[in-house]
Amino acid sequence: MLFCRGFSRISRNPRTILLGFILSRPTGPSQSLLSNQYLNSTLKVCAGRETFSWSLPAFLGIGRQIHHQSSSIIEEQLDPFSLVADELSLLAKRLRSMVVAEVPKLASAAEYFFKLGVEGKRFRPTVLLLMATALNVHIPEPTAGGVGDTLTTDLRTRQQSIAEITEMIHVASLLHDDVLDDADKRRGIGSLNAVMGNKLAVLAGDFLLSRACVSLAALKNTEVVSLIATVVEHLVTGETMQMTTSSEQRCSMEYYMQKTYYKTASLISNSCKAIALLAGQTAEVAMLAFEYGKHLGLAFQLIDDVLDFTGTSASLGKGSLSDIQHGIVTAPILFAMEEFPQLHAIVYQGFDNPENVDIALEYLGKSDGIQRTRELAMKHANLAAAAIESLPESNDEQVRKSRRALVDLTQRVIMRNK
Amino acid sequence: MATALSVRIPELPPAGVGDTLPTDLRTSQQRIAEITEMIHVASLLHDDVLDDADKRRGICSLNAVMGNKLAVLAGDFLLSRACVSLASLKNTEVVTLIATVVENLVTGETMQLTTASKQRFSMDYYMQKTYNKTASLISNSCKSIAILAGHTAEVAMLAFEYGKNLGLAFQLIDDVLDFTGTSASLGKGSLSDIRHGIITAPILFAMEEFPELHAVVDQGFKNPANVDIALGFLGKSSGIQRTKELAMKHANLAAQVIESLPESDDANVIRSRQALIDLTQRVLTRNK
Repeated sequence: MLFCRGFSRISRNPRTILLGFILSRPTGPSQSLLSNQYLNSTLKVCAGRETFSWSLPAFLGIGRQIHHQSSSIIEEQLDPFSLVADELSLLAKRLRSMVVAEVPKLASAAEYFFKLGVEGKRFRPTVLLLMATALNVHIPEPTAGGVGDTLTTDLRTRQQSIAEITEMIHVASLLHDDVLDDADKRRGIGSLNAVMGNKLAVLAGDFLLSRACVSLAALKNTEVVSLIATVVEHLVTGETMQMTTSSEQRCSMEYYMQKTYYKTASLISNSCKAIALLAGQTAEVAMLAFEYGKHLGLAFQLIDDVLDFTGTSASLGKGSLSDIQHGIVTAPILFAMEEFPQLHAIVYQGFDNPENVDIALEYLGKSDGIQRTRELAMKHANLAAAAIESLPESNDEQVRKSRRALVDLTQRVIMRNK
Repeated sequence: MATALSVRIPELPPAGVGDTLPTDLRTSQQRIAEITEMIHVASLLHDDVLDDADKRRGICSLNAVMGNKLAVLAGDFLLSRACVSLASLKNTEVVTLIATVVENLVTGETMQLTTASKQRFSMDYYMQKTYNKTASLISNSCKSIAILAGHTAEVAMLAFEYGKNLGLAFQLIDDVLDFTGTSASLGKGSLSDIRHGIITAPILFAMEEFPELHAVVDQGFKNPANVDIALGFLGKSSGIQRTKELAMKHANLAAQVIESLPESDDANVIRSRQALIDLTQRVLTRNK
């Protein structure tokens, strides 16, 4: 049938693709009227927006979002994680060897969260490795023949080092956070402080931090060292902001977003920027990399906030509710407070009393809090995608694949439900 | 040390720039001192959390006043500020040195927390732990001072050796004072090390002379009777004396290092070097 060919026809303009598809669908007499109407309304829709979503016919059953500058070749459903899977394994192995310590107890504490099976989603290293490829454009500096190759390998190794450093800092902060929060569980197993005590957990965190610093110094790039040092400071500042909020600050969306930037987005944004700097990119490109990381991180955290309420179901209260029970007021509640000022009083009282949790949930359910948080997350996700699309063009297939994967990630961050 | 190493390096740029350069150099060396102090305090804050300490420097510990959480965070904060400051020096060798210090501090603390029985008897293990916990910070920061000043690897190594030997001497006398306190007789000191089960040089030396002490150490010191027994043995042994002698050996090594520095006619340089040597003696003769 005609419609199959519609897909394989080379066409740059997504509207043309859509037209081709619609026009080539089999139409019987009763359907032609329908399809004309459909065509008209769809054309109106196409004209107004750069991006649009459309469903493929039922038998294909996949929903896709096609972007303005889609390539001429049909895109496979890219799994961003699989693009860098091999490299991630290599990194994991190196990380495990990097956190080896002379003192056995310290060694087992330090490697606790790097062992197979509990390395977490490895979201950050994935982003960084993809970013490294996405920015892999030739900088017109003359180098002697052979040196060019070694430089490229060295560059990749250095960028991988950023991914390792980032992961060590991230785990160090988790270890200290769990001590601060008296947490029992992390990544599905006992938290380190629960298993080996607070002392070793604090020490292990310090150890990982120092190992990260040593690795960082080895890169011999002082701008990168500054960036990552700033991240560590931000992590601490974010945690302190969370611990010591005055009542007024707890009700402020601005304060919340600032804290979220420090606690979650700063690490990703600054390491993305570091990746760009190591590659010798311009300040503008480095800034785009930074913006991608920042918006991705913010989107990620906002959805995290939603999931804490909704969990794996769309209804309220099925989530773990761990934030609110710890007295941490997140975006959904902040939005709800705008609609229901009565909620302020509850938030002031705090959530040690479980009844207050129920009252807050009720208000949340009546409000648009969840919806508005999702919308804000989507706004940031789209900003992240836009940053990638603003990168200087490249014809290299690997580069384009990685950029698509980075854009794909911005959607996955929004759509995940755990 | 910064002044002691203040010698003209032949590659210095012409007069105009030369004037500003020493000031910048001095500022960056001062920054090393600040960074060192921040790291030191950060480690104290974390150590007090780890040891459930109530007092520090004559006042309450931070964790006793504001809780463990804020103390851990405060330590992290100081560490991160130190990192930012370190990065601003734009010298990756120095960054590596100081990062290694933090690693050594952690390793030293862990060595102390988790010694298996055998290790607790070993003088080598004890000296290694002492290097990590006390001497590494001073030695590596001294070395950093030298590196910032653009000195050769040999001079940098001398600065390192001064710091290391000074630090070791300091800690050994600290160990003695914990037993002797402000009086020369045993037991007037705070005895805080031994009560926490931390075996220091005097006891290690005593164990060499009185193998019976091994059994007591093995049992641990939760039982105050064991503390008394150990003190008894210590008094009979030359543990205190030998520790003082070891401290003196390290102090003298430190002094010798200063004397091996490249000659200088500058009065300030000479004075600073004399002061550094003087410090090696003060470390020995202090009684608190």
